[in-house]
Amino acid sequence: MLGLFSASTLFLFVIFWELMVIPLFLIIGVWGSSNRVYAAVKFLLFTLAGSVLMLVGTIALQHTCGTLDFKALSLARHCLQPNSQAWIFAAFLAAFAVKVPMFPVHTWLPDAHTEAPTAGSVILAGILLKMGAYGFLRISLPILPDAVRLFIKPMLIISAVAIVYGAYVTLAQKDVKRLIAYSSVSHMGFVTLGIFTLTRNGLEGAILQMINHGIITAALFLCVGMIYERTHTREIKDYGGVGKTAPVYSTLLALFCLAAAGFPGLNSFVGEFLVIGAAFGTRGWLGAMAIWGVGLGTTYLLWLYYRVVMGTANPTLAGLDLELNSREVATLTPLALLALCLGLYPELVLSYLHAPVAELLAGVVP
Amino acid sequence: MSDLALMAPELILIGMALALILVARRIRTAPVAAIGTVSAALAAALASGWLLSRGTDTGFGGMIILDGYSQFFKILIAGSLALVTLLSVRTIAVEQLPRAEYHALLLLASTGMMLSVSATDLLTLYLGVELMTLCSYILVGVTVQNPRSNEAAIKYFLIASFASALLLYGISLTYGATGSTTFVAIASALAERGLANSPLLVVAVSLLVAGLAFKIAAVPFHSWAPDAYQGAISPVAAFLAAGSKAAGLAVLGRVTVVAFGSEAEVMSLLFAGLAAFSIVVGSILALAQTDMKRLLAYSSIAHVGYALLGLMAGTPEGVSTTMVYAFFYVFMTLGAFGIVIGLGERGESLEGYRGLATQRPVTALLMLLFLLSLTGIPPTAGFVAKFGVILSALRAGHPELAVLAMVFSVVSAFVYMRVAVLMFMEEPQEEVTVDLPVAVSAALAVAALVTLIGGIFPGSLVRWAVSP
Repeated sequence: MLGLFSASTLFLFVIFWELMVIPLFLIIGVWGSSNRVYAAVKFLLFTLAGSVLMLVGTIALQHTCGTLDFKALSLARHCLQPNSQAWIFAAFLAAFAVKVPMFPVHTWLPDAHTEAPTAGSVILAGILLKMGAYGFLRISLPILPDAVRLFIKPMLIISAVAIVYGAYVTLAQKDVKRLIAYSSVSHMGFVTLGIFTLTRNGLEGAILQMINHGIITAALFLCVGMIYERTHTREIKDYGGVGKTAPVYSTLLALFCLAAAGFPGLNSFVGEFLVIGAAFGTRGWLGAMAIWGVGLGTTYLLWLYYRVVMGTANPTLAGLDLELNSREVATLTPLALLALCLGLYPELVLSYLHAPVAELLAGVVP
Repeated sequence: MSDLALMAPELILIGMALALILVARRIRTAPVAAIGTVSAALAAALASGWLLSRGTDTGFGGMIILDGYSQFFKILIAGSLALVTLLSVRTIAVEQLPRAEYHALLLLASTGMMLSVSATDLLTLYLGVELMTLCSYILVGVTVQNPRSNEAAIKYFLIASFASALLLYGISLTYGATGSTTFVAIASALAERGLANSPLLVVAVSLLVAGLAFKIAAVPFHSWAPDAYQGAISPVAAFLAAGSKAAGLAVLGRVTVVAFGSEAEVMSLLFAGLAAFSIVVGSILALAQTDMKRLLAYSSIAHVGYALLGLMAGTPEGVSTTMVYAFFYVFMTLGAFGIVIGLGERGESLEGYRGLATQRPVTALLMLLFLLSLTGIPPTAGFVAKFGVILSALRAGHPELAVLAMVFSVVSAFVYMRVAVLMFMEEPQEEVTVDLPVAVSAALAVAALVTLIGGIFPGSLVRWAVSP
């Protein structure tokens, strides 16, 4: 994974990209829960289908440009005709869209997240989903600018659909892990939306949102995993009244739920704010869709919180020690602190983003 | 260099084969014959390398050639012979096969392959290919008491003789059109007389390619392969899948580039069709298999399709990607067959792999490595090989074939990962009955090493893949 994000040539990028797949396949398939084999195979086939097309795109780039070095490619991009750029973009899109995941190729994600063990879900949510967005930033924007301009409209629409559709599907979930998994679809919609507004705020917001999503969703999966170890159920209706028996847990969960919902003062707010602002700047209705998505997001997260933590205690939970032990608190605290810090002082990350984003945009926007 | 010296690798193998037949009655244990065969294979490989270091040469009036291309494949063939011999040790003991004769046949078949890869004349080529197939018929039917093996041998014999007839007919038509059977003379005759794309020649070329396509089991000339693989004992199936395919591809490569360079268009079309059909049919039919050897047979059909993508371009770079593909394919497929053989009775059916990871973690991991390589996932050699041929397909101006090939590699991923799922994610049902024999372990180690090193440092091998 580190290799992927530090790769300086496309060839290494592809290799590390594919290298990720098999360990996760085994993590899901061997240590997952009841329906693990189905989820693992689905995950593998979806990602492989995307990545083999990326391989074709890579080879086509090598063929036409004679190099796979990112820097050389972005300098030598005039070697590509707009037409072939579009094809290569489509090939890479297949891979990135599956990983992000964008609507409509997101269906592997709920299965994989739900069936994976907690550690697997955290890796999936925290890092794997970012690979696709990173790919857009690293490859699509600098190397294939003409194609990006060509595809910009459908990409924006798909992102907006992902936000709203993802949010509605999330509302209907009965399984905690599945709920969080679907919320990822909606949240990653913000990321792609921000990227394809092609504005400074949009890109910075998208990158910030990638980091935020990594922190929050990972934390939420950890929260779910910790309580699952005690109750062995993921059904929301089996919970209720957890707040009375586990105050520390409830506090942390509240923090992360609010963060995910985009509460001011917590990290997601900044990222979503930047993205939504950029979306309004591009097209009014895009901003409206995004706001709608945020509204729904607040709803499903708070409703989840309400059903799990508040209300009367569910009798099935009686007698279980639900409170977190110190090891678990130590795991979650850094994430909570990060969420707070980034929420109060986003410049911490944004200051590193200004220069590269400006450079990136200079290449794409004529 | 004298003509005979050029054939040193072949002579070494023939010598060992004759020696084994002469002392056949005195050989009481399988390992003795195996040690002889392996050392002959290693000596042949060393001789090939040594000859190459002396520079290129032709012999017997331009009938055979010594160049990087032929020596590359000779070393590959010697390597696959050695591995197959190691894999056979236990099978021979279990099935009580005639040891000396079995090894002599393997040696002679390899001799035929070596002869055919160094052939620069259609007749030498034919001789080599026939020597290889004649020995293979007997090897497939070597378990005389087993009716299934007999059936496989007869089927293989009938279809392959038909293919040989096609090949001969193609040769005779070529001779009629150009007045020669030597590759160089054919090429110059085509150029001088402006015969390119004449109907007679198109028919001749098509027949030649069809005859050879039978030998490498490319669709639609593949129907014998699954039956022959299933009926034959596993080491022989591995030998057919590895060595004979490599030799067939080598022959096709040389014929395409050297003799029929002017027919590039027709050739390219033929190869594109064969490749596309092989990939599609091989991958899809593999989905339905429950017998491991049949599964590998269909997978080998698909792999031949991938390898043919490299020949499609008709350029030296294209041929060298096919060489790399053939090289890595031999080792990964021998590895997969090695696991099948190592598990004995249990390894033959797909169900036998259920829960293998908990019982035999190392074996399961090795199998996973070979399966990943067959799928083409980095950092295994299969990825490097696939990368090369796809690049070559794009260079030849067939992006649609490149996309088709990659899409069907996802289908084949499902095939291979089904085995992985059984191994890692299911509970075992059968007891492990047998241990991996030392010889099989050694062969597996070599195959795994090549598969890994080829994936991580591809440059070390790709350098040697020089086309004719």
